[in-house]
Amino acid sequence: MDQNNSLPPYAQGLASPQGAMTPGIPIFSPMMPYGTGLTPQPIQSTNSLSILEEQQRQQQQQQQQQQQQQQQQQQHQAVAAAAVQQSTSQQAASQQATQGTSGQAPQLFHSQTLTTAPLPGTTPLYPSPVTPMTPITPATPASESSGIVPQLQNIVSTVNLGCKLDLKTIALRARNAEYNPKRFAAVIMRIREPRTTALIFSSGKMVCTGAKSEEQSRLAARKYARVVQKLGFPAKFLDFKIQNMVGSCDVKFPIRLEGLVLTHQQFSSYEPELFPGLIYRMIKPRIVLLIFVSGKVVLTGAKVRAEIYEAFENIYPILKGFRKTT
Amino acid sequence: MPGRGRCPDCGSTELVEDSHYSQSQLVCSDCGCVVTEGVLTTTFSDEGNLREVTYSRSTGENEQVSRSQQRGLRRVRDLCRVLQLPPTFEDTAVAYYQQAYRHAGIRAARLQKKEVLVGCCVLITCRQHNWPLTMGAICTLLYADLDVFSSTYMQIVKLLELDVPSLCLAELVKTYCSSFKLFQASPSVPAKYVEDKEKMLSRTLQLVELASETWLVTGRHPLPVITAATFLAWQSLQPAYRLSCSLARFCKLANVDLPYPASSRLQELLAVLLRMAEHLAWLRVLRLDKRSVVKHIGDLLQHRHSLVRSAFRDAAAEVETLEKEPPGQGEGEVGNNSLGLLQGKRPASPALLLPPCMLKPPKRTCPAPPVSTVSGDEDISDSEIEQYLRTPQEVRDFQRAQAARQAATSVANPP
Repeated sequence: MDQNNSLPPYAQGLASPQGAMTPGIPIFSPMMPYGTGLTPQPIQSTNSLSILEEQQRQQQQQQQQQQQQQQQQQQHQAVAAAAVQQSTSQQAASQQATQGTSGQAPQLFHSQTLTTAPLPGTTPLYPSPVTPMTPITPATPASESSGIVPQLQNIVSTVNLGCKLDLKTIALRARNAEYNPKRFAAVIMRIREPRTTALIFSSGKMVCTGAKSEEQSRLAARKYARVVQKLGFPAKFLDFKIQNMVGSCDVKFPIRLEGLVLTHQQFSSYEPELFPGLIYRMIKPRIVLLIFVSGKVVLTGAKVRAEIYEAFENIYPILKGFRKTT
Repeated sequence: MPGRGRCPDCGSTELVEDSHYSQSQLVCSDCGCVVTEGVLTTTFSDEGNLREVTYSRSTGENEQVSRSQQRGLRRVRDLCRVLQLPPTFEDTAVAYYQQAYRHAGIRAARLQKKEVLVGCCVLITCRQHNWPLTMGAICTLLYADLDVFSSTYMQIVKLLELDVPSLCLAELVKTYCSSFKLFQASPSVPAKYVEDKEKMLSRTLQLVELASETWLVTGRHPLPVITAATFLAWQSLQPAYRLSCSLARFCKLANVDLPYPASSRLQELLAVLLRMAEHLAWLRVLRLDKRSVVKHIGDLLQHRHSLVRSAFRDAAAEVETLEKEPPGQGEGEVGNNSLGLLQGKRPASPALLLPPCMLKPPKRTCPAPPVSTVSGDEDISDSEIEQYLRTPQEVRDFQRAQAARQAATSVANPP
């Protein structure tokens, strides 16, 4: 191999990645209209969630609903909130409870848009908690949303059947089971509707894969538990939990992966010698995206559906920036 | 001693801790009565501080350089020397190896992984200095599998939180092209095939730039594209004598391995050049094909920027204009273009500038999955579950079949 006479200057190389949270998007749009759910409301933390986690949860719930519905609801509630702030604790509690049961978006408390200030001379029963200014998720106004919804392709969930199982008996008496102890120490069982596969271990734990939605995964897991029950084991259905969700979508335009890896170095890994796609590790939410030159995007690592939607809404403006082929 | 209780015999408070050999005892100093005594034996948890510490839990590992680490560091230096890298690279690569070795996961890894780690450290150093070293080259030198190499590489980049720049294509072209044995006449290389290095390098670089602009490089292994570009550059410099030489023969006499995807990259590159030729006035009339276009590569490369702009329309801009235009107008344009083609006077309408994977028709149509209205808590009918259970007769048959198979295999392999 020939030696290069002129060595390029030493690249930065050893720098550790920046601690940026979400790439590229303006953190707070000051154009946030009043009615988008940031109306202050005294928060009663009856459960042990911290204020930040509560906001996060509420923000996620919000993003799934229509913007217009939110505006209408919050305007009503803003009026109610002003009235309620001077009431007794019981009234506020019932207000909170009715809000919860009516299924509307719970109010986010944000110091930036504090519009209902307590009247002079009266002390509010619930002092307004001042939230830190760290952004949880940048709210994308409706006009910028991509209009593309990622489709869920696979859900992996686990459940504990709560009893020890004899895998040999299960493999013998079930039609849809395979068991090869030399290869893998679990029974592989399949059902047709919903089309899923389950790994059943002798400890009683089970992994269910292949469903296309959370409800289907739960139904499939229950069917497997019922099969095991009918085989004579005292199977229960404990701690059902969704462990991973995989979604995919198509942005329908080609993407310059080399450009993307240059501008988002700390999140991206693009090695065309190893894999044709770019691996983007988003920090908020913690999702891994596989981005391909054809514009197809695969999102994985989510525990809830909202994380996938949120991750895609975060990445779409970045990908649009790499649309031009100059 | 005060506060330790009284002696049950004499009632004095003068109790002393006085061990009898290894047994701790509380004794009254007045009458000698033993008030309490400790256990003769110790439990496992009692001996927590007295147990021997294994080497891996001690700090000895951090104080000395282990033998396998020494071996690894030696191999890093050897690899840098074999690749003839500048001396500064050696120190950087050694530093990375030592840094990696501080992590417990690497210290406890198998020897195969430690071997491959040597290559990873050298690769990262080269990448950071824009030195073109491919993973394939390192794997060949280390006799390692690319899968093992790739997993170790991704792991170490994540572990050390490194910023590794992409492979520098221009440098790779220069290094790779220089390795072709075509610059001097030899028994295997006829005189007409010998080429000037500088001319070939510059033309190959231009062709690779063109490929990169027209989406032939993104997402693909870089080397086959460069092989195809080198071949075209070499052919185009003296097409009269070289058009008859195939890609495989070219690589053989240049003493370079032909990567498998190179032929399809060659076809893609020729298709791009043909598209561009249709927009060059004096070439349009010639009605070029894949072989004859090679003669005019020089002209095409000279005007490549304007040709790419006119021959390919931006796919994104296309979508936007289509959305803005009323549909009737769009159809009229298409009609005009087809007429133009028939007359042979106007060039073909610009093709969409897209990666080849988007230009190919989809292999199978994916219908939208039906929206399922499953709630997850529905009742599960017994009959549905029964279909997954074997009848007793089936169970008996299955057991009989299994027994027969066992008997057959045991007879077949007598002990």
